[in-house]
Amino acid sequence: MTRLSIAALALLLVTSEAARADSVLVLNSEEASYSILSRSTRTEVTRLPVGREPHHLILSPDGKEVLIGSTATNELLSLDIKTGERKRVVKDILDPYHLGFSPDGKWFVTAAYRLDHVDIYHADGFRLAGRIFIDGLPSHIAFDTQSKTVFVTLQQSGRLAAFDLATQTLKWNVPVGNAPAGVVMLPDDKRLLVALTGEDGIVQIDPRDGSVKGSLQTGKGAHNFFPKGDGRHYFLSNRVEGVVSLIDTKDELKVVGSVRIPGGPDCMDITPDGRELWVTQRFLRRVAIVDVETLKVVGNIHVGKSPHGVFMLKSTATVTAGAPVRAASTAGEIK
Amino acid sequence: MRDLIDLWVGAQAWIFETLVSPVLFHFGLMAWYEPGYSAVEFVMLGVVQIAVIAVGMRFFERRWPLEKPGRDDGLIMVDRVYTVLNKLGIIPLAIFIATYPLVQEIELLVRSWGFAPPRLERVLPWIGDNDLVSFLVYFVLYDFAAYWLHRGQHAFGWWWALHSLHHSQRRMTVWTDDRNHVIDDLLITLALVLFSQLVGVQPGEYVVILMVGRLIESWSHANVDMSFGWLGERLLVGPRFHRLHHALSTPAERHIQDHNFAPVFPIWDILFGTAIYDGKTRPTGVDDAAVDADNGRGWLTQQATVFGRFVRALIPKFRRRVSAQ
Repeated sequence: MTRLSIAALALLLVTSEAARADSVLVLNSEEASYSILSRSTRTEVTRLPVGREPHHLILSPDGKEVLIGSTATNELLSLDIKTGERKRVVKDILDPYHLGFSPDGKWFVTAAYRLDHVDIYHADGFRLAGRIFIDGLPSHIAFDTQSKTVFVTLQQSGRLAAFDLATQTLKWNVPVGNAPAGVVMLPDDKRLLVALTGEDGIVQIDPRDGSVKGSLQTGKGAHNFFPKGDGRHYFLSNRVEGVVSLIDTKDELKVVGSVRIPGGPDCMDITPDGRELWVTQRFLRRVAIVDVETLKVVGNIHVGKSPHGVFMLKSTATVTAGAPVRAASTAGEIK
Repeated sequence: MRDLIDLWVGAQAWIFETLVSPVLFHFGLMAWYEPGYSAVEFVMLGVVQIAVIAVGMRFFERRWPLEKPGRDDGLIMVDRVYTVLNKLGIIPLAIFIATYPLVQEIELLVRSWGFAPPRLERVLPWIGDNDLVSFLVYFVLYDFAAYWLHRGQHAFGWWWALHSLHHSQRRMTVWTDDRNHVIDDLLITLALVLFSQLVGVQPGEYVVILMVGRLIESWSHANVDMSFGWLGERLLVGPRFHRLHHALSTPAERHIQDHNFAPVFPIWDILFGTAIYDGKTRPTGVDDAAVDADNGRGWLTQQATVFGRFVRALIPKFRRRVSAQ
């Protein structure tokens, strides 16, 4: 092999790597496929089959894999963080609708939305530690920063439940409002925010006992959160209203900006440079790209049917111990 | 194609977000948010199907009719009612509400055992490489199940009591396909939904299979003197092939309706020895005065009388008591 061809091959590998690092994954939940999008060209590069009814995805604690919950086939599908290619399948994970790792990386939790249970696994080897059956459609999950408690919204019964990770037992289960979905723990570890899809805003919860400490009107069908990355601001999708709100959580909660995103906006992720917010538009089969600074839609990309989870592939993703809370909807916090 | 999809999805999202979503939100029915969106698509597809039948297929019936207009033309009206009720989702909605809990229970029970039927792509990865191939494979499987269900409709007395309503029409047209008893529709839907889940048909694929399949079936009932040609008649069910299945039995052809069962792909009849290609034109209907009496009745009366027929066939004790009277 000549030096020239070796150089060409090396260049190809480097550019290929760069191109893949530039990619974004989107789960087409009603198509059993995932789209790989290019951030730079804002196009769909390819669409590949994956399980059945994939909804959410999460970065592994070592930062090397992205795990997709394939709800109807009871398994996790692992993709390479750099290339987006399939690596392995983790079987016997029942109905992994929403999923997350505790901040210390020791626990892996899934909300089995249709089967009405919350599963707590030892993250090392995905060994089931405890399965807690609970009525009401377990929907979204969040952890405290100490990795002691996992919080789960129960969309049908309008409640929020807290489970002790070490003992896999229920700590409390309280009503919070109509159809709670997205839940996020703020960095101070003292406030939980819960989005109420059956109402027009969010509530602030005391994680110690689940008591409601405040509320904020954002828009009809408040659904899911995504951190802006400054530890203070959070994006919130309002599905019925067709709006993404920007919420300031410092001191008193307030809406400091919004952008119209029609088509049932749902999951979000931010580009590594923090400049763009990518939002799945479930009904329009598209992903909207929002300029974070101006809060204007600057692009759209066509994807498959009912796009749900979205994730930025990163070539150098790493996870540090004690990193912020991460669950499927907030995977982007791990940079 | 992309523009067409955009137009379709844009219209669906607009209808849902303007008319349906606010109602669901107002009445606290957010659990029906995603199904509500799918329902809008179902109704839209129904409108398209009705338009294709009323404009496209009817053109061929007017231009090349097999049976000329006659005194039985009035019998067609009730079939139009069936088509509208079915295509616009009124009957399917009732069936969905009736079967949803059962389908859910079955699915959840099976899944809670840890059993999850994989998609065919797991076994045959090449299927996933091409959307069209994937669609066709699932379509063929779906049609295979539909073929055997159709044979069941003719094989069991209680099921024939229901299905005979479909066959009782003496004046077959593009509107005849939807002429079914709601219980018959319910049974077929239940079986096909469970089968689809078993083999891994995705919701998106199911909608397309349903739409394309039902359009082909509407066409196969058309009153037209047309053929797809020797090869075409063996690849796709057409009016000539399916008309034989609706043929009125005679002493010489007592079991003529036990042929040409396939809904879309004749291959099943060819493989299982139930295909007849003889090119003859026969009158349609059922050689049974009680069944033939369905003609001339309205939708509600047909549903009620056929239900009675079904009960009598299903419960022998009741049948004896009735016949004793």
